[in-house]
Formats: sequence, structure tokens, C-alpha cells
Amino acid sequence: MGEPGREKERPGPSAGAGSRKERAGCGEPGRSLLFPLPVAMVVLRAGLCPGLSEDMIQLLSANGIRTVVDFVSSDLEDVAQKCSLSYKALVAVRRVLLAQFSAFPANGADLYEELKSSTAILPTGSPSLDQLLDSGLYTGEVTELMGAPGTGKTQVCLGIAASVSLGLKQHVLFLDSTGGFTASRLYQMLRAQTEDEEEQLEALQRVRVERVFNIYEVLRALQELRDRLSQQVVSSMGPLKVVVLDSVSAVIYPLLGGRQSEGLALMMQLSRELKTLAREFSLAVVVTNQVTRDSSTGTLKPALGRSWSFVPSTRVLLESKEATWGKCSTQRAASLAKSPRQPTGIQVELDIGNGDVLDPSLVTPTQGL
Amino acid sequence: MQREVGTLPLAPVLRARLAAAGFQTAQELLDTGPCGLSKEIGISREEALEALQVVRQECHGHARTAEGSSSTRKCTALELLEEEQSQGFIITFCSALDNILGGGVQLTKITEICGAPGVGKTQLCMQLAVDVQIPECFGGVAGEAVFIDTEGSFMVDRVVDIAAACVQHCHLIAEAQQEEDHQKALETFSLENILSHIYYFRCRDYTELLAQVYLLPEFLSEHSKVRLVVIDGIAFPFRHDFEDLSLRTRLLNGLAQQLIIIANDHRAAVVLTNQMTTRIGQSQSTLVPALGESWGHAATIRLIFHWDNSQRLATLYKSPSQKESTIAYHITSHGFRDVQPPAVTPSTEGTELNPRKRPRTEEEKQQ
Repeated sequence: MGEPGREKERPGPSAGAGSRKERAGCGEPGRSLLFPLPVAMVVLRAGLCPGLSEDMIQLLSANGIRTVVDFVSSDLEDVAQKCSLSYKALVAVRRVLLAQFSAFPANGADLYEELKSSTAILPTGSPSLDQLLDSGLYTGEVTELMGAPGTGKTQVCLGIAASVSLGLKQHVLFLDSTGGFTASRLYQMLRAQTEDEEEQLEALQRVRVERVFNIYEVLRALQELRDRLSQQVVSSMGPLKVVVLDSVSAVIYPLLGGRQSEGLALMMQLSRELKTLAREFSLAVVVTNQVTRDSSTGTLKPALGRSWSFVPSTRVLLESKEATWGKCSTQRAASLAKSPRQPTGIQVELDIGNGDVLDPSLVTPTQGL
Repeated sequence: MQREVGTLPLAPVLRARLAAAGFQTAQELLDTGPCGLSKEIGISREEALEALQVVRQECHGHARTAEGSSSTRKCTALELLEEEQSQGFIITFCSALDNILGGGVQLTKITEICGAPGVGKTQLCMQLAVDVQIPECFGGVAGEAVFIDTEGSFMVDRVVDIAAACVQHCHLIAEAQQEEDHQKALETFSLENILSHIYYFRCRDYTELLAQVYLLPEFLSEHSKVRLVVIDGIAFPFRHDFEDLSLRTRLLNGLAQQLIIIANDHRAAVVLTNQMTTRIGQSQSTLVPALGESWGHAATIRLIFHWDNSQRLATLYKSPSQKESTIAYHITSHGFRDVQPPAVTPSTEGTELNPRKRPRTEEEKQQ
């Protein structure tokens, strides 16, 4: 069953997913998420389908038909004449190509059942943050945490890793691009949640850390993860549920702006990888982002601009309460900036204190951000 | 390998041509081969070969990481924990500061020190350049230091004073404890040695600074004992005479990523000093670190030094593992030191001992 509605929003997810599905049978049985390739972009090659031979391809490309869409949209009688190929053969090839590359329609009820069975809600380790996110992190979606330096984004990510690896006994992949991952802090959080040393060590082993310091390394790491998951290699990577990318702006910022044209393209590639990972393998993806100061109004706004703002489905803004350094506190305020389920503007208080990412109270909802 | 062409590190022109020709995955590129590739997208054979080599390298792994990266990039949290626990810290000789930092300046992380002029940033940098060389038996990391100076505030005579005080301190500990390896270590821990292991670079503008940081990995692979890289005054070259602010943000972010790669691959601590600037709000103005909001994310650990009447204070503003707190410190002729609590009976103090000795080494000579 395909998802034609979503196909429009995300043009063309992973290439070759269709054919790979046939070969390796990826995904659990019953979860047939077929992502068709955008038909326009596939070049005709020998072996793409049974009737298509090398000579045929040469003749076709000599007449300007190079991709699947050229083939499918051209008048076959005309083509048969110009290339002196058999009309019947061409029709057969077209039928196979259409079957292979077009999307299958699905109805909403099936889609709903599908989502209900494959989506999980993961607790973040902080009850008030869970409340803000409508009971937790949803798998299949990208959630973003943004905030100024020192507001606790990495702490919240560590809290999520601790809660998922200890509480749910699932694996976590932590992609660290700023060097901010401190295993001793994670250990401290685990120690605060359980006394049993065995459990603590096991939980530590379930958190995998990869240090990725530029965009190509991030893309490579995500690609490797995708390969591992689709081949269902269970050995080192157990049941993975959460992928954390801390932080996405550190790797993308050097690429944006100026006369560089590929920054935006790479950012969109990254967003596509993250979203397809989340959707295909039912993972919760958490990214952290910076905030920048708007030059005209002086207010804080999330970094990476408007294009990135469409990528995460939920955005949480973290702020600290004080501006002076005389009085230091571990209180932070988290407010919901974008959500598909909750009204925006809800605010809660978080304590990123010593024991673990706990929270004292739920502040009454305020209007606006 | 099903890696998409758009995610490979090729030149944008090449990428655009590949997309127009209909190539989707890296596997298709590798299957086509250099001749087919050069014919289809109209580039020369050499360019096609180069591009394919890049693709092969990306897909089949980690040939790139063979340049002396001692720490692996992928591991579980447990392995990282063991690594962190066995890693040393660079002590600052001010035990209060060491405490709030969790033991001292951490290796493999970027620490930023912000403060108003005259509050002691360069003093701390010079102290750290000496302290990183303390031998392991005295609790140091026995490394060398790289000092990149952009403001010209590095004073060799001051370093001599600090180093002499440090050597004397170690001598005192050795005499108190009388262990073999202490004596042996002290033979190599002399003033000349300390000074010869601080590698000093002077950069006069941002181009030189960027070039120096770019060349640093090579330098560090030759001098593998370096455990500290100090950039004194990262704000100075970027603040004066820089018109294009978005270019500045881009350069700074790129610089931050390069520094974190250096810190990680060579297991060194990177220490940067930053200036302060005034931000004018609606009703009041506050003193904030310079170089903008996005630079605040570059450093993993941020310390802000400020004044409170005539007392110098240090606040830990950002850290992944320690709480925010403020402590007081002193700068004496011997360097960076603690503030002695005012009303305390001197327990045992010999006259030749430095009264500002660190409370940590409590083996004071009994007179």
C-alpha cells in the first residue's frame, strides 16, 4: 500500500526503495510501505524490466527517449516507426514500467490502521515535557528542540536517551556534531533512575554514539543506518527506536549563504533522509537547532530559515529564566512552537538539574510565544 | 550502495550534470564506469576518474580516517564513559575553578573564556599552557601546548614567573612525598623544558587565523604530544573591519567545526578567549559575549569572567555535565590561584611555603 497523499509533500524519497523492497523484502510483513520513484528521473537501462535490451535502449536514446517518463508519455506507434522496433514489444515494456514505477492508491482507513499499528509514543523522561508533546515523542516524526546556548538542549537529549535505553530497553543512536555528548552525565542520569549496576551498564551499551562533524559525514552515517536497518542486521544494532542529531545547525550553517548554491540542496537532502528514516523504520528522530537574533526586531528566531521550518512536525523552544549570571538556576521553560496535535504556546517548566531531567510543575498555558 | 548522488561530496556543477543525466544512486555511477560517465555527462576522463574515486571512498568506508585519529568516531556510551574516566584534566591551580569544571579543563572539548578587559583571560591561558605540561605523577597530562596569539598579549616574562612557581610547587610535593617517579619526572620538568614545549603562533588578521587553524592538524600529527590548543583572542580579528556579517557567521561556524574535529581527533583541549559587548535591550543594556548568538553554540563549555566590585568572579555558564555556578579567584604573581578564605586559622604553615598554595595538596610541611 502506498501513500499517495504524502508523496506530493515529499518529492521522491529514497531511490531504489521499490526495487530493494523486492530483493530484500525490507520492513516487517504486513507493513508494505512502497515508495515509488519519481518517474521523471529514472534513466532507461538494460535490465530495468524484462523486455528492455541494450540495443533497444540505444535506438530509443538515439531518438531522444532517455528516461522512463519520456518512454511512457510518448506515442508508441510513432516510436515503433522511428526506431523500427516492434509495437507489441514496446507496449509490453510500457506495461511493466508502469506497474513498477507508479503509485498504488490507498484509502484512508487502511492508512489509519497502518499508522495505529506502527506508531509508538516514547516517554522523554520528563513528565511535563511529555505533556507538552502530547504524551511523548511520536515515532515516524521529526521533533526539533531549539534554544539559545546553555538552555539545555543537549541535556534534554541525554534525558531522552537515558529514558529510552533504561525504561524501554530500546537502542538509541546519538549523532553528535558539537562534541557535547558527555557519557559521564548520561551515567549520572541513569544512576539517578536506578540503583542496579547491571541495568545501568546495559543501558549505557544500548546508546550508540557517532561523532559526525560535517554534513557529508552525517549523510553517510544516516545512509549506513538505513542499510543496516533494511537488511535487519540484529547483531550490533538492537531494536532501534530513537535517532538524535545534536545539532543540525552546526553542520549546515557553514554551507548556507554567500555564493554557495548547494547549501540549501544539502539541507533538503538531509531533511529527506531524516524523514524517510523516521517513516520507513518507525523511529523517532530528534534534532536540536540554534536560535539566531532577528536583526530588525531583535527577537530570537530559530536558525536555518524558513525552508527548514517545514521539516520537523513538532518544535519546542527552550529558554532559561534569568539573564544575569549572578543567580544561576537549573530552571528552564519549554514552549511549544509547532505541533500537529497540540495548540501552540503551551509552556511548561523543566529542571535540567543534577539528578535527571525532571520537572516540578506545569505552568498554565500562555498565549503566543 | 544505494547512496544518493545528491549526498556525495562532489562539486556542485558535477552534481547538477549528474542529476540532469538521470543518475540516482552511487551504485549506478560505479556501474557506468569512467568512460561511460565522461561520455554521458560531457566531462573529461580524468575528471570522471576523480569523481568515481571520491564516490568509491565515500561508499566503501573510512580511508579518510587513517590520518592519525586516535579516538574512534563510533562507539557505545559505555566505551565513551570508560574513555572519559581515564582521561585527565588540565588543572588550573585554582581548586574552586577546577571543582566547578568537574576536575579542570577537559580534553576533547572546546572551552570558551569570555570576559571584560583585564579580568584575567590571558593569565588563565598562560597558566594552562604551563599546567598542561605537568607530569602525570603529579596529576597532570604531560602534554605540550600550542598558543595562537591574535592580540599580542602573550608576555614571555609572565610565563617564566608562572612556570617557575609551578616547578617550585612540584618540587615541594616531591619533597613531601618522596617517591621515585616524582624525582625522575622532575628532571625533565624544568623551566627551559616548559618554555620549549609551548609552540607560539602569531596571527595578525582573520585570514592568517583561518589558515593557521587549517594547517593545525598537520602540525598536531607531527607533534603528537600536544594536549592544549589556545587561541587567545578569537574575537579580535573578526570584530574590526569586517563588513559582511553573514560571511563572518559562516567563517566562525566553519572554524568551530574545524576546532572540534581537532579537539576530537588529537585528544586535545581547545581553549578560546572572547571579548564582551553590550546588548541594548528595551529597558536596559547587558554585557554579553561578543561574536553573536550563533557563536555561543560553538563552544561546549563557556566560562564568563566578571568583576564584582574588586573581586574577580568566574561563572560557568554552559556545560554538558556540570551545573551553573560562580566562584571567586585571584591572580597573584605566581599565576592563577584560589581566593583564600579570610578568617581561617593557619593550620601549619612554614614560612617558605607559598601562602596561596592550592588547598588540594594538603601535605604541608610540618615545621
